[in-house]
Amino acid sequence: MYNFLIDIFGSPVIAFFVAAALPLFLFILPYALIAVLAERKVSAHMQDRLGPMRTGYHGIFQTVADILKLIQKEDITANSIDRTLFNFAPYLVFIGSFAAFAVLPFSSFFVGSSIDIGLFYFLAISSLVVAGILMGGWSSNNKYSLLGAMRSVSQIISYEIPTAIVVLTMVMLTSTLNLDTITNQQTAYFWNWNILGGAATGIAKFLLIPLMFAAFIIIFISTLAEVNRTPFDIPEAESELVSGFFTEYTGMKFAMFFLAEYANMLAVSFLITVLFFGGYHSPFGYLGNSLGIEWLVPIEQGVWFATKGLTFVLVQMWLRWTLPRLRVDQLMTVCWKYLIPYSVAILLLVGFITLI
Amino acid sequence: MKQYFINTWEGLWTVLVGMKITFKHLFDPAVTIQYPDVKPTMPERARNRLFVNMDDCIGCDQCARACPVNCISIETLKSTPDDTPGETSQGKKKALWVTKFDIDIAKCCFCSLCVYPCPTECIEMTKVYEFSEFERNDLIYKFAVLTPEEITDKTQKYDEFQAAKEAEKLAAAKAKAEKAKQDAAKKADDNPDKKAE
Amino acid sequence: MELYDIIFYLFAAITIVSGIVVVNAKNIVHSAFSLLLTFFGVSGIYVLLGADFLAIVQIMVYVGGILILLLFGVMLTNKITDVEIRSGSFQVFPAIIGLAAFAAILFGVMTSTNWKTESFEIPATTTFQLGRLLISEYALVFELLGILLLVALIGAASIARRDKE
Ligand code: SF4
Ligand code: SF4
Repeated sequence: MYNFLIDIFGSPVIAFFVAAALPLFLFILPYALIAVLAERKVSAHMQDRLGPMRTGYHGIFQTVADILKLIQKEDITANSIDRTLFNFAPYLVFIGSFAAFAVLPFSSFFVGSSIDIGLFYFLAISSLVVAGILMGGWSSNNKYSLLGAMRSVSQIISYEIPTAIVVLTMVMLTSTLNLDTITNQQTAYFWNWNILGGAATGIAKFLLIPLMFAAFIIIFISTLAEVNRTPFDIPEAESELVSGFFTEYTGMKFAMFFLAEYANMLAVSFLITVLFFGGYHSPFGYLGNSLGIEWLVPIEQGVWFATKGLTFVLVQMWLRWTLPRLRVDQLMTVCWKYLIPYSVAILLLVGFITLI
Repeated sequence: MKQYFINTWEGLWTVLVGMKITFKHLFDPAVTIQYPDVKPTMPERARNRLFVNMDDCIGCDQCARACPVNCISIETLKSTPDDTPGETSQGKKKALWVTKFDIDIAKCCFCSLCVYPCPTECIEMTKVYEFSEFERNDLIYKFAVLTPEEITDKTQKYDEFQAAKEAEKLAAAKAKAEKAKQDAAKKADDNPDKKAE
Repeated sequence: MELYDIIFYLFAAITIVSGIVVVNAKNIVHSAFSLLLTFFGVSGIYVLLGADFLAIVQIMVYVGGILILLLFGVMLTNKITDVEIRSGSFQVFPAIIGLAAFAAILFGVMTSTNWKTESFEIPATTTFQLGRLLISEYALVFELLGILLLVALIGAASIARRDKE
């Protein structure tokens, strides 16, 4: 991909910047447009409503209209806020969630950065989001914001543990931290996906399947909590905290928090896809291969990757409109008393299975 | 320990049950309607905006008196025999010109109490429920049909009629007084002797 | 000036400037947040030096762990932002002497050390070697550190539980 861009632009520097900005314009912005609308539509239909209907056919341009509105909004900054930190926080949050996309393999042609510690990087860079949230919450000089930020951070830190343990399990199984390599280990058909035991053979594969399912459920729950979505949305609990750490934000800064939230949802969905569902690999083989058109394969892969990722985003929305919000103590109980013991047990069992 | 696993299982299972329910609802038809495009049908006897059929109103002021918030104000004028307001649709004679019939719908509480006492059933609830206005004064509905000229005309006529009647009365009174005087004089003339005695 | 150099100077500038802010900021929360940038710059420099694992550990542990802990401590402390932090200069003369001595020692070490200058291939990833070394050559140290952390953990838990009884 990078070489291809250098060929086009003739300069590594320009190619560098283009490669860096590409996922933003290729994936995140269109995705956010679709996802925000999808969220509203899904929620509406789940509640037997129709949702936005007046901008275009069934309201498909609603998000565009909303963005236009947000751009025009006045950028309100209260007098007693900490201006520097207040202005910097949205960018930090957005950087954190956007930087996670750097290591994701979107297709065999478009692997962001195939570094050998991709998985580790993915987990680490999300701590920038944590710092950003804390920054935004504190600098707003508003008790709701601060409470929201505190809750958010303690939640993210707690739920990072089960996530990390499950990721560790997967690292033991695949013996690499490179997301591209993990993807390529799950090539060919869907029974090679890690959720179905991966490339292991014989009895080990069957022993792994239930463990992998459990691991998948754990990481799904904990990443859901990390992106602050319902039922784990106590950081922005509307009925208690107005809207949590971004209560004081308006206009484009608010939009950046919003975008970061949706980008985060997509990022963790992609992570789950790579770890358990074969990354960009098709479950049935490629049309391009059977037709003999070589350039079709990467495009197909991109489509498969996006489809799988968006499926998980949809499930996240589905869950959001199904479950009520957890209480703080319930939230911590789920994490410390259930997810962590289970994930440690899975870690040990998987380690045992991979040894024999 | 057993409870722990039961909790885990229940947690997951109930989530799945909930997800099944929401998934089913995803395909249910919406229960909402697209309001400005599709209007809800009002039930029979819905209480919304008032309407007064002025052809039938006899100006009896009963509705105004029934109203608990005094939002109806009526002024009437007696008619003259040569220019009567005609009859209601049920054949009742109207005796009064209604010169003012204002309903301040902003004050109205839609209690419908004004509807029942009306003897000619001319004030009624309609099914119109969209009548927001930018000015509060626009919410005062004026039902009286007479134009100001007509009103002055009728007032004049009534005044003339009244004056004529007054004059007549005066004349009659005068005549009566005259007569009484004459009678008295006559009487006095008849019994002069008695007086003298 | 290649791309590599530009990025290096960028990260170096971030590190130094934010480091100065950490020391000089009047507001303790500002200090804490500029520490974030310092850590970030340092990890960038690690990446440029080919120590990718170390760089990520830097972000994970310092930004994700220690800094957040620090901020929590600062924010949960009542009225911490109103405290006057004295960041002026005191004892200038002894400080200069100390600084000069330190600089002289550093310079001496730098010039007298026999740096390894032979060029060898920078390994694409250090994770594998690091892992291998940790469980072979430095296994004892690794285990001891693990026990130390465990002790700290148990200690923290017992302190937190004490007044329950
Ligand atoms: S509905 Fe009630 S409040 Fe309205 S005008 Fe009639 S009597 Fe008055
Ligand atoms: S009660 Fe009926 S007839 Fe009488 S004044 Fe009111 S509307 Fe007219």
